[in-house]
Amino acid sequence: MTSRLYPVLQTGAFILLALVLCSLIFAAVGLSATETLGAIVDGAFFRPNALAHVLRWGLPLLITAVGVVISFRAGYFNIGAQGQFYLGAICAAFAAEWMRGSPALVAVPVCMLAGMAGGALWALWPALLRVKAGADEVITTMMGNFIAAQLLVHVTSGPLKDPSGSGQQASSRPVEAAWRISESSGSSPVIIAIAALVVLLGWWLVNRTSFGILSGLAGRNPVMVTWQGAKVQRIAISAFVLSGALAGLAGSVELMGPNGRLASGFLPDHGFTAILIALVAGMSVIAAAFIALFFGALTSAGLWLPVMTGLPSSAIDIIHASIALFITAKAGVFRGLLARFGR
Amino acid sequence: MNPDHLQQGAGASAPALAADAVTVRYGDVTALSAVRARFEAGRIHAVLGQNGAGKTTFARVAAGLVQPAEGSISVFGRHLAGGDVVAARRAGVELVHQSFALPPSFTVAEVLQFVGPKPGLFTRRGIERHWQGWLDGLGLGLDAGARIRDLPIEMQQSAEIARAMVSDARLLILDEPTAVLSPEGTERLFARVRELKRQGVTVMLVLHKIREVLAIADTVTVLRGGELVAGPLEAQDLTSEALAELIIGDGAARLDAGDRAALVGAAAEQHESHSLPDAPPALVLKRVSTAPEAGGKGLSEVDLTIRAGEIVGIAGVEGNGQRELVAAIAGLDPLTSGEIFLADRRMDKASLAARRDAGLRVIPFERNVEGLSLSSPLWENWSAAQLVGGSLLAQVSPRALRSAAEQAFQDWDVRFNDVAQRAGSLSGGNAQKVILSREMDSGARLILAAQPTRGLDIGATMAVWKALRQARSNHAGILLVSSDLDELFDICDRIVVMVSGQAVATFTTPWDIQAVGRAMTAAHKNRAEEATR
Repeated sequence: MTSRLYPVLQTGAFILLALVLCSLIFAAVGLSATETLGAIVDGAFFRPNALAHVLRWGLPLLITAVGVVISFRAGYFNIGAQGQFYLGAICAAFAAEWMRGSPALVAVPVCMLAGMAGGALWALWPALLRVKAGADEVITTMMGNFIAAQLLVHVTSGPLKDPSGSGQQASSRPVEAAWRISESSGSSPVIIAIAALVVLLGWWLVNRTSFGILSGLAGRNPVMVTWQGAKVQRIAISAFVLSGALAGLAGSVELMGPNGRLASGFLPDHGFTAILIALVAGMSVIAAAFIALFFGALTSAGLWLPVMTGLPSSAIDIIHASIALFITAKAGVFRGLLARFGR
Repeated sequence: MNPDHLQQGAGASAPALAADAVTVRYGDVTALSAVRARFEAGRIHAVLGQNGAGKTTFARVAAGLVQPAEGSISVFGRHLAGGDVVAARRAGVELVHQSFALPPSFTVAEVLQFVGPKPGLFTRRGIERHWQGWLDGLGLGLDAGARIRDLPIEMQQSAEIARAMVSDARLLILDEPTAVLSPEGTERLFARVRELKRQGVTVMLVLHKIREVLAIADTVTVLRGGELVAGPLEAQDLTSEALAELIIGDGAARLDAGDRAALVGAAAEQHESHSLPDAPPALVLKRVSTAPEAGGKGLSEVDLTIRAGEIVGIAGVEGNGQRELVAAIAGLDPLTSGEIFLADRRMDKASLAARRDAGLRVIPFERNVEGLSLSSPLWENWSAAQLVGGSLLAQVSPRALRSAAEQAFQDWDVRFNDVAQRAGSLSGGNAQKVILSREMDSGARLILAAQPTRGLDIGATMAVWKALRQARSNHAGILLVSSDLDELFDICDRIVVMVSGQAVATFTTPWDIQAVGRAMTAAHKNRAEEATR
């Protein structure tokens, strides 16, 4: 077995194991496992316009997940993708507000950059607290998520509130129709291009630059990298900021693309799903791209299930949770199996 | 059943320890293979061999810490299957490890009270009085009221020995007890061991220096590559040369006499210094001080010059500022005062990357922590040195780095399968060669070699010495920190002794070996006198 193929097979095996576990759970609550999984596959891949839906959900996840891969590889557990994603969307929304009337060719890139800057800033303060004061980034970035969620509520019901808005959820004024980079329920060449660029640059950064090699070493042994004379703090801050910027970019893509406006309960699982994708991908940018699309398909199916089959969309949450379970157990489970049955 | 076996049950005449075809495997590695030996009670036995010979494993089998794959041991006639610490303890075996593990905030008396037979209510003064009397009887020279963390390392070791003796050990095993001691500390330890023998305790010492073995042991057992080479032999019948050959094996004759003596800790040889007094300096430290670390001392006004083409040794009991010295020269500890020059460039504010550019190379103390990232591929470990100076966004070619690493590993005779394999899969000697292949390039002008041969077998040790001498003939300056005085005497041109963060004495060839040993402990005595005053 080539060493390249091995992790792919391993990941495939995990997902299969997770699906087996899900089937058991479905069966236990009285759902037919084959029917439910069949409906999920149907919803993900065979409904009308299935590919567009997969891309609509998968590509923003992909952008955030590449960022998470970069920070995890460097040894920093930036759990704050969700908050950075929100800050990106909020900053992009403010930029859109201020730029009203400008041509799309200027306004869209400015909003995207504002989103990246917002996400980056939301990752910068935990990074500084970590390298200057030793504060655990898991705690600080997680707190950042809560603050960002409150900020989103404030912004959508305050400064950016849509006065004509009705309904239970506060939301912002919509961005100008001409600036939208995709329709509400689909993807577009612009988003595909952005995601492709992120994958390409992410891959290059991780596999073809000094930063990629040194951050990989630092992620496993920062002391060694220090004794080699590398600036570990600079690597850490770069990794944090890059991952924040990408989450922020995903936020602005969601705002400028499918959503068109901010709502206070805007995609609450985005960051956590991206973290799960990064973990399943085992720190590889290319793997993250494929797995993000897989999770995009799951999300798309989750929205389809209740509407078309009457099955609960929480079936998708169960699948997420089962995959998370197996990924967490990954190293131990596989080493145990290998030791028992030989190679 | 052979009659010999029956006799073992007889008690008084039973050997303190008998190993019967003991084999130990760690994964694919056979650490001990069919070792068979009998150690008589009431004597001092030395187990001797190089790193990787299986000495420590043998000691751990005897103490019940390691379960042999085959074979068994018996202690004072009691048959033990092995791998059972409680059974070994009950039979009277105690092991004192290389690294100490007593709770630092406890007093000696508290330690002894808690491992001792009578738990219950006590007063601090009461137990101190009780245990002080007991300690005085042992002749360990310990103060029962002293806290473990305040004791110098030699006394911590004594506290470990006392801890072992509380449970009435009849067979006391000391694993490399001299590794952490100064020459004088070693002599005091040996005096204590003789006192224990006088009280009827059987002592087994795991050692790797012939000089020490001949000074203390009644019998000598030599292990090599996990096999019993000879023993127990009566020490009085042995010569240093004969033992050296037993330890090294076939290769002994091929080694240079000085290296051979240094490897096995026989009497140190003299050699000519290579220092050239008018060679340009590779490193100059002027009154360098650093802030004290938590629980340690900083450097205090260290002056040191290393010229191109000389090896300067730093001798001293561990923990006397050697780490701080290396970290300061590497730029990882900021100076509180003083100046550092590499060649003629002042660099005390420069980053390590800038110092590396100026020709500084580091073989750090902790091979597996500071030297290598064990879970990363070999080629990444090797490449780090190439990358640190440049921009983080510099494009690199993994293919080129892999093949450069592969070439370097082949030049340094690293045994590896694939440059992508994890560094942690290499043996200690091979891992050190990976570090050498990274640090000892042609651009090296000043090499900091911190304990570069610690834990290495003969082949790897020789490779390190050869590399350092090679670098010297390429006009690099070399700072060699070692706690092995034999190593320093063999390859250094000058030796600086460090005590409490100060460079207290400098020695040149011909070596005054006793004087170096005295210098290592002299300042300790001064401090102790100050403390009692």
